[in-house]
Amino acid sequence: MSDDEEHYEPRAHKKLLQAIGNLGKVQHIQKSTRDELQSRQDEFQLMKSVSSAETERAPRSVGLNDLVEILRTSSKHKDAGKKLKNVQGSRKVLAKPLEKPAADRIRRTIGYEGVTKKLGRWDAVVAQQRSAETQIFPLPSETIYVNTSAKARPLNTRIKSDLAKELEASNIKLRELRKAQIGDTTDEKELAKQERQLLQKKLTRDELFARRKELAYLKMRESQKSAKARMQNKIKSKKFHKLQKRQKILEQMKEFELLQKTNPEAALEKLNELEKSRVKERASLRHKNTGTWAKNLQVRAKYDKDVRKDLAEQLAVSRELTQKKQESDSEDEETSKKRVAPEEEEIDYDPLNPWTKRKTVENAENGKAETEDSNWRQYWTKRNRNEKLLEKHRRDMEEREEEQDTKEQEQEEEEEQEAEDNASKKPSAKAKPNKKILKKSKVKIENAKKSLKKSKVKIENGWQVEEVEQIKLNGDSKTGSIDDIFEKHEDQLRAKLSKKLEKLKQRVDKLKDAPVKGKKTKKKDALKNLKSLALKKTKQQIEIDEPLNYEKEQEPQKKIPAQLESSAETTKSPPVDTIDPNKVTTLVFTQKKSSSSGINDALIDDEAAEYDEADAAAERQLTISQAFEDDDIIADFNRDKTKDSELKNTELQLALPGWGSWAGAGISQAVMERRNKRLLLKLAAPEKRRDDNKDNLYLNESASKLAREHMVSSIPFPFRSLADYEASIRAPIGRNFVPETAFRMLTRPAVITRKGQVIAPMTESELVKPDRRLRHIVDSRIKRIPKVPSKAKIAKN
Amino acid sequence: MKVKMISRNPDNYVRETKLQQHKMPRNYDPTLHPLEGPREYVRAMNATKLDRVFAKPFVCNLSGHRDGVSCFGKHPKQLSTMATGAYDGEVRIWDLANRISSRNFVAHDGFVRGIAYTRYGDRIFTVGDDKTIKVWKAEAPEIGQDEVPVNTILSKFGLHGISHNHKDNKFATCGEVCAIWDEKHNDPLKTLKWGVDTLHTISYNPVETSILACCASDRSIILYDQREAQPLRKVVLTMKSNKLAWNPMEAFNFTVANEDCNLYTFDTRKLQTPLKVHFDHVSAVTDVDYSPTGKEFVSASYDKTIRIYNAHHSHSRDIYHTKRMQHVVCVAWSLDNRYVFSGSDEMNVRMWKANASEKLGVIRPRERVNFNYQEALKQKYAAHPQIKRIARHRQVPRHVLNAQKKMRTVKEKEQVKEANVRKHSKKGKVPYVSEKKKHVLKEEV
Repeated sequence: MSDDEEHYEPRAHKKLLQAIGNLGKVQHIQKSTRDELQSRQDEFQLMKSVSSAETERAPRSVGLNDLVEILRTSSKHKDAGKKLKNVQGSRKVLAKPLEKPAADRIRRTIGYEGVTKKLGRWDAVVAQQRSAETQIFPLPSETIYVNTSAKARPLNTRIKSDLAKELEASNIKLRELRKAQIGDTTDEKELAKQERQLLQKKLTRDELFARRKELAYLKMRESQKSAKARMQNKIKSKKFHKLQKRQKILEQMKEFELLQKTNPEAALEKLNELEKSRVKERASLRHKNTGTWAKNLQVRAKYDKDVRKDLAEQLAVSRELTQKKQESDSEDEETSKKRVAPEEEEIDYDPLNPWTKRKTVENAENGKAETEDSNWRQYWTKRNRNEKLLEKHRRDMEEREEEQDTKEQEQEEEEEQEAEDNASKKPSAKAKPNKKILKKSKVKIENAKKSLKKSKVKIENGWQVEEVEQIKLNGDSKTGSIDDIFEKHEDQLRAKLSKKLEKLKQRVDKLKDAPVKGKKTKKKDALKNLKSLALKKTKQQIEIDEPLNYEKEQEPQKKIPAQLESSAETTKSPPVDTIDPNKVTTLVFTQKKSSSSGINDALIDDEAAEYDEADAAAERQLTISQAFEDDDIIADFNRDKTKDSELKNTELQLALPGWGSWAGAGISQAVMERRNKRLLLKLAAPEKRRDDNKDNLYLNESASKLAREHMVSSIPFPFRSLADYEASIRAPIGRNFVPETAFRMLTRPAVITRKGQVIAPMTESELVKPDRRLRHIVDSRIKRIPKVPSKAKIAKN
Repeated sequence: MKVKMISRNPDNYVRETKLQQHKMPRNYDPTLHPLEGPREYVRAMNATKLDRVFAKPFVCNLSGHRDGVSCFGKHPKQLSTMATGAYDGEVRIWDLANRISSRNFVAHDGFVRGIAYTRYGDRIFTVGDDKTIKVWKAEAPEIGQDEVPVNTILSKFGLHGISHNHKDNKFATCGEVCAIWDEKHNDPLKTLKWGVDTLHTISYNPVETSILACCASDRSIILYDQREAQPLRKVVLTMKSNKLAWNPMEAFNFTVANEDCNLYTFDTRKLQTPLKVHFDHVSAVTDVDYSPTGKEFVSASYDKTIRIYNAHHSHSRDIYHTKRMQHVVCVAWSLDNRYVFSGSDEMNVRMWKANASEKLGVIRPRERVNFNYQEALKQKYAAHPQIKRIARHRQVPRHVLNAQKKMRTVKEKEQVKEANVRKHSKKGKVPYVSEKKKHVLKEEV
């Protein structure tokens, strides 16, 4: 035992005891220590919690009570202690944790909800992308720039050396001196600024590269331009040079205008320069048709109209050059000229024909020297007078003829008046067309004048002799010059005019005296009518260069009686008692046609615009047809059918009168009959209609079967109504049918990608991106179209 | 008597400078164009016909692999670079512009299961049947140097696919479990498991980059979030899904290529019913890839064809096939939306035009305008029967045609049968089930 006691080691013994004690609840695996990030916890790594047996033996851990006890001792923390006690008293036992699968399920649900919410953010973006007219990929990234320059402060850390300070001070002194002595006013601050800028201009490597690139580019451009200029100088085409020159002049003009607005002094200089060049050109023999070119052409001028034109143009240019000078010479002259001019200009100037004016100028200069101004004026006054007379004469002629007409018409007129009394409650409306006629007749006269003058002009003009027939004026225009004719007719005209006036007066008196049937307004109408009729032109004048509205002029004249009639008709029509169902149906047909010709509704997409007069008329007709819905439509229907079949089954007589029939005696009627019979083209036996015995059926047999296979049988997806689809199909998109801008808009592709560019997936910045600036002009145009949610679109959504 | 003379003002038709455009007088008054409808119709018809005439989609064949092509890896930044993996463990990098293989190396023992480029395309991750993830440099090694992986990670689990996050330096692999990895760690950050044997494909959402989806061998599609400790949701279809592709422009939509010849487009938020069922294939669909515009996708099938679908239509827009192309295993749409690549069992990678009749090369502005006009016309008159017929007509291989016929008869028969059953049973007992709902078995939470 003593040996044993000797060997006794308390530590080893304790260890042994512990090992024995632990024998039952062995824990071989040591607690793991983590050295790397590990999300997955193995079950082998886990330790069991400390057993209860051990806790008994080990010193008791600190409990809440102990804490409270300690806190009680100090008055400072008494309250805290109490609170803690309360907390301990009111504690609840936690619920048992959920089963693992259930807990996981909950966690998954929560996670999924979060994800759905997150994905929901994209709804708007995706919807916008899908509905966009044009999508451009890669999605253009808008960089948002924030200007931070306001907050930027220049670093001012450089320490100045003594020498620098000295220099600065001396500089200041020097400047002051200069200011005082010479009055030097260079701003120091500005200088400093410049200096700073220069200092800052230390270029980075990239900038240097950029600058070099730029320089290289400029050099390349320069060489390109010089090459181009060299090439252009070699071009021999006259036309090209002409065009180029014109272009240059245009550019100069533009420049000048701009200068006028911005810098009048420079403009003045420019003007002088221009003037100088003009003078130079004037001094030279250019445009005088003295060059070799002109001479060569003159040889050909006899035969070639174009050549003549060219030469004339050339001359006109020279004249223009010289003409301008005169205008600017003195204002007095100009005004004096103008005093006379307006009449002739008014007469002469045709806004539709820019050539007339020029030609007169040409004439003037061609014919006479520029100094003979007074003669010129005389000529024109004379000519104007003549023209006036001519006009009068013509009017007179018309009136004379109309007198006869009016006599005949008088009776008719009276009848018409009665009709008018019945019909028209708007006298003013009736008066208008008459006035119009008046005006138009005037216009026509003027036209005639013009044409006449022109013809004369052409005679005088050395070049432009065009084969135009002379105006026939009562047949004697060929004999003498126009002036002669005028003189001849002058007296006649006057006499006739006076006569005419008298007659008119008489008739007016008659009308006044006549028993008044209607109201006064109507009488006035009658008077007006009379006048208009009196002035109406009956004889057609020969017209050269006739304007396109010729027919229009004629129409109103015809229209008067027509209108009267129509008005009578319209007045009659309202109390409709008997309307052919035939007529009604045809009307419906016409309406359909008109609606089908109204195109581009889809483009405009404006209901208000569609509702125009035609529609109103159609509506009226519709109401009529609705009113007579229960008329005998079936009979009508059948009639249509029979008509159809009749057309189909008629026989054709091929015999022509005279053909193959000998004249004279001995030719019997029977022979002829036989012959006719022989020539009767018999068609196949009458075909049976497919809808023959079906009363309520009408099969359109003339409809083409070939066309049928091209027709759409059902309304395709985005559309809901036939009308919508038809409208969309009817609206053309080709550049032959719609303007270029509309064409571009209509044919803008839905998806645009660029070659060789990676299209990255959408990024989150798309969610916060402001409305994208549209780079393409067509896109912006499309966007500007007011969006009316059409039915098709609604269907799409 | 009248003498009519035409007098025209040269100002109206002579240009002042040569830079001006010629004045083209044109009267748009519709009454002057009574035949504008028929004219446009004829133009549309001609455009449609020309479209078919010029429809020659095949661009080139990239040959070099010595075994069937198993997977593609698209370079995220370069259009001319693509990596392909084969059944024999070889990886080839293609220079598409020159149509040559610029580099090749054997990466794995057995199949290469997946290839993924990193975010900026500077490295390539490959996974193979040998349970390793290998990291390669995107540039070829210098002459004289061996092809060695930058890093090789031995995984505890089998690996069937890999997908790289579009914004993070993280990637995910699938196999027995779905594991999220960081590029810089050799251990997965996270493994996500939901009681399935094998996950055979994985794909990160390119827009909401923390979301990813897997297809599992128990016919299910499982959604994950790389930040969550648990998977999100599972939807079980009637048959196994082979591949999954997310729409790059619509964050919540994805399409799966299914074994039952169909493709299904799902909205992540409503998994009970697919948004669209895409028919037309006659055999199992093996792969699907979205166009970068998100408007269309291309699918490869075991029936030796690839088809292009509009993402919102149930029938295909186009079908591509060649005589020599065998079962197509993988397919990819180039990132500039112009080309489609297909890799097939017979060791070839083929390059197709995404738009069969598109003109390659420089297109002048006037040409462009004309093409646009033709396109607009085709769209306008698309519903007209003749135009529809021409536009829809495709020559398909005989076996496809026969299979189509067979499938059609089977379907008709089933329909007749169902109708008969319905007729002879109590009202409401045989309900009408929409085609969409037929294919989804259940959605598991």
